[in-house]
Amino acid sequence: MAAPSVKAVRGWSGLALGVRGVVLRLPGLTQVRWSRYGPEYQDPRIDGEYYRKPMAKLTEEEKYERELRKTQLIKAAPATKTSSVFEDPVVSKFTNMMMKGGNKVLARNLMIQTLEAVKRKQFEKYHAASAEEQATIERNPYTIFHQALKNCEPVIGLVPILKGGHFYQVPVPLADRRRRFLAMKWMITECREKKHRRMLMPEKLSHELLQAFHNQGPVIKRKHDMHKMAEANRALAHYRWW
Amino acid sequence: MRERSGTPNLHESVGTMLKGMARLISRVHKVKHGEQQEGQHYNIPHQDLKTVFPHGLPPRFLMQVKTFSEACLMVRKPALELLQYLKNTNFAHPAVRYILYGEKGTGKTLSLCHVVHFCAKQDWLILHIPDALRWVKNCRDLLQSTHNKQRLDQPLEASTWLKNFKTSNERFLSQIKVQEKYVWNKRESTEKGSPLGEVVEQGITRVRNATDAVGIVLKELKRQSSSGLFHVLVAVDGVNALWGRTTLRREDKSVIAPEELALIHHLRKMVKNDWNGGAIVLTLSQTGSLFKPRTAYLPQELLGKEGFDALDPFIPILVSNYSPKEFESCIQYYLENNWLQHEKAPTEEGRKELLFLSNANPGQLERLCAYL
Repeated sequence: MAAPSVKAVRGWSGLALGVRGVVLRLPGLTQVRWSRYGPEYQDPRIDGEYYRKPMAKLTEEEKYERELRKTQLIKAAPATKTSSVFEDPVVSKFTNMMMKGGNKVLARNLMIQTLEAVKRKQFEKYHAASAEEQATIERNPYTIFHQALKNCEPVIGLVPILKGGHFYQVPVPLADRRRRFLAMKWMITECREKKHRRMLMPEKLSHELLQAFHNQGPVIKRKHDMHKMAEANRALAHYRWW
Repeated sequence: MRERSGTPNLHESVGTMLKGMARLISRVHKVKHGEQQEGQHYNIPHQDLKTVFPHGLPPRFLMQVKTFSEACLMVRKPALELLQYLKNTNFAHPAVRYILYGEKGTGKTLSLCHVVHFCAKQDWLILHIPDALRWVKNCRDLLQSTHNKQRLDQPLEASTWLKNFKTSNERFLSQIKVQEKYVWNKRESTEKGSPLGEVVEQGITRVRNATDAVGIVLKELKRQSSSGLFHVLVAVDGVNALWGRTTLRREDKSVIAPEELALIHHLRKMVKNDWNGGAIVLTLSQTGSLFKPRTAYLPQELLGKEGFDALDPFIPILVSNYSPKEFESCIQYYLENNWLQHEKAPTEEGRKELLFLSNANPGQLERLCAYL
């Protein structure tokens, strides 16, 4: 179903080397998303460890790689990717999905207020619990966040397939990135719509994350509904051809 | 390097609950604060929190107190300096004014609270105005004052302040006697010689007269502080409110100047150094200030010419960001309370990054560590 990557046809006259110019137009295929970088552009290396290694400790391959990167073209690193030790790609992705109208400042503030709210709630529970329960209570907001999103990921999804003039909902295995996307999307939609008008996003989101961490709550229920629908439509599974 | 005493919990009061956590940071007794305790945390018992600080602690600090179920303040140089001066005050001389100034988030309010707690333990009478800036903005009802037709009353703010004043200074209210007769209205009056507690009660119950009650309390304390029976500490946070501008308007949309507010007028008289028998500790604050640029933090900039002249002469005390020793101590405190939950936070790189991101600013560091 995914559109195959379309190779660029580079025009020689006047275009900068490596920038995609006229793209080969295949009939029936529309380019959905592409980057202005050609295939010879390498991804940048952001981690500080790579650059701080002294020259003496490098192996032959690493020395060769370093020399090679000096001549290669490298893409520009995005502003959101930092070499910070506290950076988390999942948190960044979630913040981007929460963002509206490009207001990253607001989205990031909401995210850090959510993490703080989760942490404070867990600390309260910890102080109120007895010694045996204290060992089970998780206080790290990042582990709770990751585990909650993992618990919300569906295993199997439904896809509308056109057959004989009707669209049938066919159960289909989902790719990893689609699952992660669905988990985050459901969490955000749930927190945006099903809350009291005066309740703030961090409060609601922290509540939902804690519920999802314990495998309860509306997002987990939606995942189970998706699984049940897939189970109910399993007769249509042979409509899938990939 | 930062000293860590081997014996945990030097002086814990009954109120604090430990839950079995071994404390490596020394908790020192307030009276024995000296040079060597700089950078170490000391605990305020829960009982003291309720009596000494019914108002006055910053909101983020209150959240931290609730989460950790203990109130720990770091002993820092500005507070130590102030305590030294206060210990050596000559009560025969006029009251000395100390102004804590500094950039945003450096710890002026908490240093003020440290000093207030110390003086409360020494049995001084504490006049703590938690945030003078709250009296010059966002006030709902303003009444024309009965005492003076030109001035305006703020009943709500005055009554809340009187309630908190009562909680913090219970024992003095019965000892101090008023030296004049005050008539509230046709039916109620306070006789000469009755305890100050009655005036405070009148202000709390009859909200209309609350501002006048505040004025009377301040006047009586100023008059009687030189008698030597008790010492008065006037602690005002955000004193630049007294000489700035207000955002309040009358019904005819004309702007109100600070002098026309009765509470501000009474406070200005209190902060003048024409009385003896105590000390005045003030804090400047840009955060809540009105019509002042964000980068202004010096007394001249925040007080303006009028305020500076009114407060001159004063002793300025600069509150700056954490020194490396204090920074390490703060990180250690958070680690011992398990507040820094991120795996990379206790590492060398994590600390370097926290130092870089916060620039050793206490407020910024607290906000950073909240979500890590």
